[in-house]
Amino acid sequence: MNQQATKKDELDLPLRYKETRREKTGVFFKKKVGWLFVIVSVIAITIFNFYPMVQAFLLSFQSGMGSNLEYVGLANWQRLFGDPTFIAALTNTSIYLLIQVPLMIVLALFFSVLLNDPNLKFKGFFRIAIFLPCVTSLVAYSVIFKYLFGVDGIINVFLLKFGFISETINFLADPFWAKVVIILAITWRWTGYNMIFYLAALQNVDKSIYEAAKIDGANSIQQFFQITVPMLKPIILFTSITSTIGTLQIFDEIVNITNGGPGNATISISQYIYNLSFEYTPDFGYASTVSYVIVILVVILSIIQFRVAGEKK
Amino acid sequence: MKKFYLMLVLLVGLAVLAACSSGDEEASGGSSAEGAGSADTITAWAWDPAFNIAALEKAKEAYNGDGDFEVKIIENAQDDIIQKLNTGLSSGTTKGMPNIVLIEDYRAQSFLQAYPDAFHPLTDVINPEDFADYKIATTSHNGEQYGLPFDSGVAGLYVRTDYLEQAGYTAEDLTNITWDEYIEIGKKVKEATGKNMLTLDPNDLGQIRMMIQTNGSWYVKEDGSTPNLAGNETLAKAFETYKKMMDADIGKIVSDWSQFVGAFNSGDVASVPTGNWITPSIKQEAEQSGKWAVVPMPRLDMEGAVNASNLGGSSWYILNVDGKEEAADFMLNTFGSNADLYQTLVKDIGALGTYSAAAEGDAYAVEDEFFGGQQIITDFSKWTDEIPGVNYGLHTYAIEDILVTGMQDYLKGTELTKVLENVQGQAEAQLK
Repeated sequence: MNQQATKKDELDLPLRYKETRREKTGVFFKKKVGWLFVIVSVIAITIFNFYPMVQAFLLSFQSGMGSNLEYVGLANWQRLFGDPTFIAALTNTSIYLLIQVPLMIVLALFFSVLLNDPNLKFKGFFRIAIFLPCVTSLVAYSVIFKYLFGVDGIINVFLLKFGFISETINFLADPFWAKVVIILAITWRWTGYNMIFYLAALQNVDKSIYEAAKIDGANSIQQFFQITVPMLKPIILFTSITSTIGTLQIFDEIVNITNGGPGNATISISQYIYNLSFEYTPDFGYASTVSYVIVILVVILSIIQFRVAGEKK
Repeated sequence: MKKFYLMLVLLVGLAVLAACSSGDEEASGGSSAEGAGSADTITAWAWDPAFNIAALEKAKEAYNGDGDFEVKIIENAQDDIIQKLNTGLSSGTTKGMPNIVLIEDYRAQSFLQAYPDAFHPLTDVINPEDFADYKIATTSHNGEQYGLPFDSGVAGLYVRTDYLEQAGYTAEDLTNITWDEYIEIGKKVKEATGKNMLTLDPNDLGQIRMMIQTNGSWYVKEDGSTPNLAGNETLAKAFETYKKMMDADIGKIVSDWSQFVGAFNSGDVASVPTGNWITPSIKQEAEQSGKWAVVPMPRLDMEGAVNASNLGGSSWYILNVDGKEEAADFMLNTFGSNADLYQTLVKDIGALGTYSAAAEGDAYAVEDEFFGGQQIITDFSKWTDEIPGVNYGLHTYAIEDILVTGMQDYLKGTELTKVLENVQGQAEAQLK
C-alpha cells in the first residue's frame, strides 16, 4: 500500500507542476486573494511592530533631556561602554541568564520525565502543583518572595529555629544573597511553564522506542540521554530561546523584590532602561540605545543556540 | 525579486506612517481642548489620599474666585504621574494631560528643563516672596516662577521621650546637637533599653541628603547639573557620620517604607529623623500618645551647619494646555493666597504648607497632646525659615543610585576619598 502511494505521488508531481505553469494568470490571481487575507495583519504588524522598531532605532542615535532630542551620531553607543551602571546591569543580567536558564531547563526536564511516568499516582495533583506558580501575577509573587526573604521573614525564622544559622541573614541587603533570591524566584515561577512544553512533547514520543531500547538492555539513564533528550531537542531549543529572551527582559521581579539594590547588585538591563526614562531626568535616546543592546543580544544568543542545537536552517 | 517588492511596500508604508504621525503633531495643538479639559473642567493629579488629595479637596471647598468651573481631582501613584507626564509631554500630545499636577521638588528641575514649553509660568500670578525661601530655587527656572510651593519638607528629629528617660536623657539633651553627639546618646540608649536609635535603609540615602543640606550642600553644584561629590567636604563628613552609625550598631536596617513605618509604630526605635510629613504615620499608633517629642534635626559637626534641614516636599505646577488661566485662577485663590486654607490643612490633615503668612494663625499654635503638649507646627514652621536653600538640580536620583553603591564600598572598607572620586567619575560619565 505504502509503496504504491509513494509511486503515485512521484507521478503526480510533475503533472501538477505543468498545470500550474499553464494557468499562470490564475495563480497570480490566487496569490492576490491570499495577500488580501493577510493584508490586515501585515498592516497591523507594520504599524505596531515595525514602525516603532524603526523609530526606536532612529531614537537610539539621539540624545537630550525629555523632548529636546538631537542627533548625536554614535555618541550613545560610545557612552554605553564607559557607563558603569550599564556594565553592572549587563553583568547581572548575564549572571541570571547563565545560572538561571540552564538550571530551570534541567529542572523542567527532570520534572516532566518524572511526571510522565505511567506508574505515578496523583499525577494531576503534582502537575498542577508545579504549574500553578505560572498563573500567579508577577508583582504578587515578587512581593511575597520579598517578605519571605526579609530580615523577619519566614525563611530566616525557619533557619534560625532549626539552628542552620546563628543570626539572621539580611538576604535582600547582601549583593550575593539578593542575586540568589532573584534566581530562586524566577526559577520557581517559570519552571512549571517550561515543564508543560516538555510534558506535551513527551506524549508524542512513541512508546515503542523505549520498549525497543529496554529489550536492547538500555537502563533508564541511557534511555533519558539517548532517547528522551534527542527526541525533545526542538522543544529544548524553543524553551531555551524563549527563556533567554524572558530573562534578558527581566523587570518585574527585580523592581519588586530588591529594586536593583543593594547598590546596583541586582539591577537588570530593563530596569536600567526604565530608570533612564522615568526615574532620572529622561533621556529616551540613550534608553533606546540600551534597548537595542537587548535586541542584539537576543539575536546573537539565538543564533548560537541554533548552531549548538545543530539546526541546519 | 518578490522579496524586493515586499520590502519596497514595507518601506513605502513606513514612510507614509511617518508622514501621518508628523501631521498629527501639528493637528494636536488645535484639537487638544477636549483632551486636556475644556475651560469648564480642570483636572488635577496628585498622590497620597491622606495628604495631597485631601489638601486638594479642601482647596476645592475653599475656592472663592469668580471662575465657573468644575475641579476634577484624580489620585495617581507618584511613579505613575512621573511616567504619564514623561510619555505624554515627550510625545508632544497634550491629550489626557491634567491642568494641575504635583511634582516632587527633587524632580522639578528635570521636568522644567526637559520640557521647556510644557509648563505655564506663574511669575505674574503669585508672589514668590510669600513662600518659604528655600522652595524658590527648585520651583523656578530661567528667572520664571513655575511652581506654586506646597508642602514643607522641613525635617525634625522625632524622639521617644520614655526611652530617653530610661537612659537618663530628656528631649532637651537632644535639642540642637551634632550628629556625633546623637550617636553617643544612641549608644547609651541602646545600652539602657536594647532599642536601636533609628532605622537605616541602605538603598535610600535620605539620611545623607538631610545631613548635607544642614550645611547648604548638595549632590550637584549650584548650576544644578555638575556633580559635586569628590572634594565635597560636607558629603565626606556625612558619609563618615553614616559609617559611625553603622559601626556603633545603633541602626535597625530596613529595606522599604512599610518596614520603616513598622519600626517606629512597634516601638523598635528611639528616634526618627525625617520630614514633618511623617507626623500622621507616627500618630497612627495611638498607644504611644504622650511618649513622643520633636526636636530640631542634628547638624553636621562643621562650621556653618545649622539645625534645620529638609526631606522631600513638593509643589504644584500648571501645564501649558487649554484651561491654564482657569487653573492659575484656582491656584491663586486657594494655595496662592488663602491663609485660612492653610489653617484648615494643618488642623484637619496635619499638612504643613510653606505659605509664610499662614504661620500667624491659631491652628499653628495648637498644642499637640500626642507630643506631650508641644506646639509642633509652630516649631516646624520656625525651622522652615532656617533651612539652607540649595538648588536640587537635575540629577538627585541618578546620583543617589551611584552613591548607594559608593556607600556600600565605603562601609566595606574602601578609603573615603577614593570612593568619592570613584562616584564622581561615574556620575560624570553617566550624566552627559
